[in-house]
Amino acid sequence: MPRETFQQELDGLTSDLLDLGREVEVSLENMVRAMEGRDADVARQELGVDIRYKTRGMDIERECMILQARQAPVAGDLRLLYTVQSVTNHLVRSGTLCEHICHAIVDTEGCERDEDLETALVEMARTARNVFNEGLDVFENRDIDRARNLQAKDDKVDLLYSEAMNLIANPSGDGGAPEWRMRAALMVHYLERISDHGVDIGGSAVFLVTGQRIEDAMQQYLDRNVDHDGGGA
Amino acid sequence: METKRTERERKVSEVSKDQREMRQKGDGSPSGDSLTLGMKIQDLSAFYGSFKALTDVSIDVRANKVTALIGPSGCGKSTFIRCLNRMHEVVPGARAEGHVMLGEQDIYAKTSDPVVIRRRIGMVFQKPNPFSKSIYENVAWGARINGYRGNMDELVERSLKHAALWEEVKDRLKESGHGLSGGQQQRLCIARTLAVEPEVILMDEPASALDPVSTQKIEDTMEQLKQEYTVVIVTHNMQQAARISDYTGFFYIESMGDPGRLWEFDETEKMFSNPDRKETEDYVTGRFG
Repeated sequence: MPRETFQQELDGLTSDLLDLGREVEVSLENMVRAMEGRDADVARQELGVDIRYKTRGMDIERECMILQARQAPVAGDLRLLYTVQSVTNHLVRSGTLCEHICHAIVDTEGCERDEDLETALVEMARTARNVFNEGLDVFENRDIDRARNLQAKDDKVDLLYSEAMNLIANPSGDGGAPEWRMRAALMVHYLERISDHGVDIGGSAVFLVTGQRIEDAMQQYLDRNVDHDGGGA
Repeated sequence: METKRTERERKVSEVSKDQREMRQKGDGSPSGDSLTLGMKIQDLSAFYGSFKALTDVSIDVRANKVTALIGPSGCGKSTFIRCLNRMHEVVPGARAEGHVMLGEQDIYAKTSDPVVIRRRIGMVFQKPNPFSKSIYENVAWGARINGYRGNMDELVERSLKHAALWEEVKDRLKESGHGLSGGQQQRLCIARTLAVEPEVILMDEPASALDPVSTQKIEDTMEQLKQEYTVVIVTHNMQQAARISDYTGFFYIESMGDPGRLWEFDETEKMFSNPDRKETEDYVTGRFG
């Protein structure tokens, strides 16, 4: 096939991106474990990952830029490079947020906690991790139907966000140590962002495959269903 | 794995179909917009003797826009562009069928005079071909034989300015056109074409024999030309098509011996970011062959 070298470079780039994604998945898994078990030692393992992810992200972005300069990509190749850059950004940011949360867990080790709020936080962390993992899987398999469903899963995170913020503002008991509650507010925000990154990573598969932004694809999908329903009535 | 890929292709195909339905209208226009029509080509086929080189091309060429034609060698691009001003029939045994409308006039109607058509639809060729005359006469000659009665000096200056050559030659108009560089000669040929005041300018790979700097000047010239003219260009340089054109048509031959067809036609932005057809994607991304 013509442009075999270029295709190998694109495949290598995608592979590097997915490797980075898998590493962020491991960090998120450790974050959830640390939250579930109040285990600061597990959280401590993730301190410093931010720099590593940023360096990896810069390497991938540099490779994208070189390929754009050297290969003048168009159409599907151009969309792939654009998407790789975008997804890299989401992965690195998710890794950074994960480290912030692990820092908070380490810094508040031994602090008294509000059990209801902690339960909501753990549930939110599990859901955000699941959305992120699914987003990456959707991207890897370019599964645009599942990308459409990701938004609904993120809605659960948004609900938990509201619930957690309500518990922070209106604690059921003494609300735990102030320092922990303050950190909990930040963690809630970070988890909500991680879930959003997962949705965007999955949504990028729609752009990669169809050239449409997921918002436009969703609207077109809904309009078509409305038309079909109307036609059948 | 195979099943997954097939399923993915089905989904892509469905979305692409939606996009096509949204973008394409029954009149064959690229996106159904209401821009002024420069030329309307309907069911155009071209022959060399009994060999059908091009079949059933329908395309709306927008006025004051650059339309690029791309495709692999032998797919009929140059044949097509030569049909647009009746240059195709100059080849012995060659003929064309179908309709090519320039405004209200079908250029293939029996009442249409090919000479008049070629004045209204000028052509610039791959290799610059200045006459063995002075720079001034190269530009003035076509206008003179067409009976131009205005101020010839003004016409020459205006044409050379439109071709972005005036500043480089204004002090040596009496010198031979052959003394110019390749890029300058090509711009001289553009000026010569402009001097007869055409409505449409056809360009058949006008920069393929030029160095990058000259190519850039020709491309810049085209940006200026479309303010006043409709431009159709054949190019093998896809980056050039992407840079300079507003619309792009992809010509393609399915298998050896078949006639060339217009495979996809749309706004250039669409053709180079998200074409509807796989063959177009393969060609513009260099996966063709």
